[in-house]
Amino acid sequence: MNSDNNMTGDGPVNNDSVTLTVDTTICVGIGQCEMLEPEVFFIDDEAISTVVDGATLPADRAARVIERCPSGAISIVPLSDDDSPA
Amino acid sequence: MASESSFVPDLTSPAQYVEAIPYETMARLRAEPGLVWHPYEKSGFWAVTRHADVKAVSANSAVFSSGIGHTNLWDLEADALEARRSIIDTDAPDHTRLRRLVSKAFTPRNIRAWEATTRSIARELLDDYVAAGGGDWVEMVAAPLPIRVILAVLGVPVDDADYLVELSNYLVEGTGDQPSLPPDAFGNTTELRLLPFGSPASHALFEYGEQLGMARRLEPQEDIVTMLVLAEDDGDKLSHSEYRNLFHVLIFAGNETTRTAITHGAMALAEFPEQLQWLREHPDKIDQAVEEILRWATPVLHMRRTAAVDTELAGTHIAAGDKVVMWYASANRDPEVFDDPFVFDLSRESNPHFAFGGGGSHFCLGAFLARMEIQIFLEELIASDVDLRPTEPAKRIGSNFVHGVLSVDFEVEARTP
Repeated sequence: MNSDNNMTGDGPVNNDSVTLTVDTTICVGIGQCEMLEPEVFFIDDEAISTVVDGATLPADRAARVIERCPSGAISIVPLSDDDSPA
Repeated sequence: MASESSFVPDLTSPAQYVEAIPYETMARLRAEPGLVWHPYEKSGFWAVTRHADVKAVSANSAVFSSGIGHTNLWDLEADALEARRSIIDTDAPDHTRLRRLVSKAFTPRNIRAWEATTRSIARELLDDYVAAGGGDWVEMVAAPLPIRVILAVLGVPVDDADYLVELSNYLVEGTGDQPSLPPDAFGNTTELRLLPFGSPASHALFEYGEQLGMARRLEPQEDIVTMLVLAEDDGDKLSHSEYRNLFHVLIFAGNETTRTAITHGAMALAEFPEQLQWLREHPDKIDQAVEEILRWATPVLHMRRTAAVDTELAGTHIAAGDKVVMWYASANRDPEVFDDPFVFDLSRESNPHFAFGGGGSHFCLGAFLARMEIQIFLEELIASDVDLRPTEPAKRIGSNFVHGVLSVDFEVEARTP
């Protein structure tokens, strides 16, 4: 799978690139996401994982971090036409 | 409740663990259709031995409860369960509250702050071990390393390390079949059934935690114990019983399990020196070496859950109230997931082991601390430029719960270039 994460193109976001979100009601701050993808995830002071603003991941790495989250708290934000980056 | 199979397994008799984990019984259980009902005391439990099934149980804490009954095999009376209830034997939302209180201190980012401390402790212990030409690895390296690190992380005086190792040793003994302490040891007056592991050493550890908590109230420090007693004083964040049991878990789980991993790791490197040589030649593969040591060691052999409702797993009907026991030791040797599972292979790339549990919200709090300690142990062992040579077989603990080793001797041999 192509892991090129270049977002400077003129079309919608690269097909391989996804945005992730954390279900804050079930995250208990274990930190597996922070270990795998420290540029994207940060465990905040309330011990809840937070996605760095604007951070995206190639689909294969996103799938890995979703799969490895012990709490099952991470998912992909569905891409709507309105919020694709310009 | 009986299963179709006429096979009557025995994973629980503690004595067999002195020789080895009953891997053949586990292999037979994995090959059975569905789950097998394993007799235990007056009733029994569903033995969950396949990797996929352990994962499914771990992921579903609403159905497979940690708070109904408790997470060890045996039953506890209601008052004992309440007195002994820790973060391990708790369901959401209480578990979520407790976990978030301590999670932050154990995240990968925050654990990295302890790397230099850990390395200097490991360096000192290994230097002494090499200078002595070897000796009992458990006493000289594997026990002191994690206890000193967890004491530093928690903010417990390091001078008390030996005492806390002694208490931990008695607690491990409490999981086996031959506890040696009299009920009134350490001035204990509490009924043993109300104490974790039924051990008077738990009373001593509670008392120690109480005194340390009082000291931190008088003189707050930047440490976890201070954070916990402040949370307790805050009212609804942490009850006093929760503080006692959480302190107990942090000390016990923070040293006993990593001790076991470092011991089995050293035993495997002594038995298979070509693996250590491979790691010397591939220092960039240290992360996967750490994971293989974790898989190989599997410090905690099982955890129990209790079905909260009627459910089904692997085609087997499970009734509400049935005990369901996940055998991590079996999942970590499941050939469906691991090629040649009985081969110790530091070059193993895919290694979704369950040394920290099968996932879910109870995933080991200290996972990143343990990984860092094992990594530093490996790096410093390589820096010592020695091989470990086995001299006699390890003395293993007769426990079906922890994969503990009482003592194991090695000789240190300088490497010949």
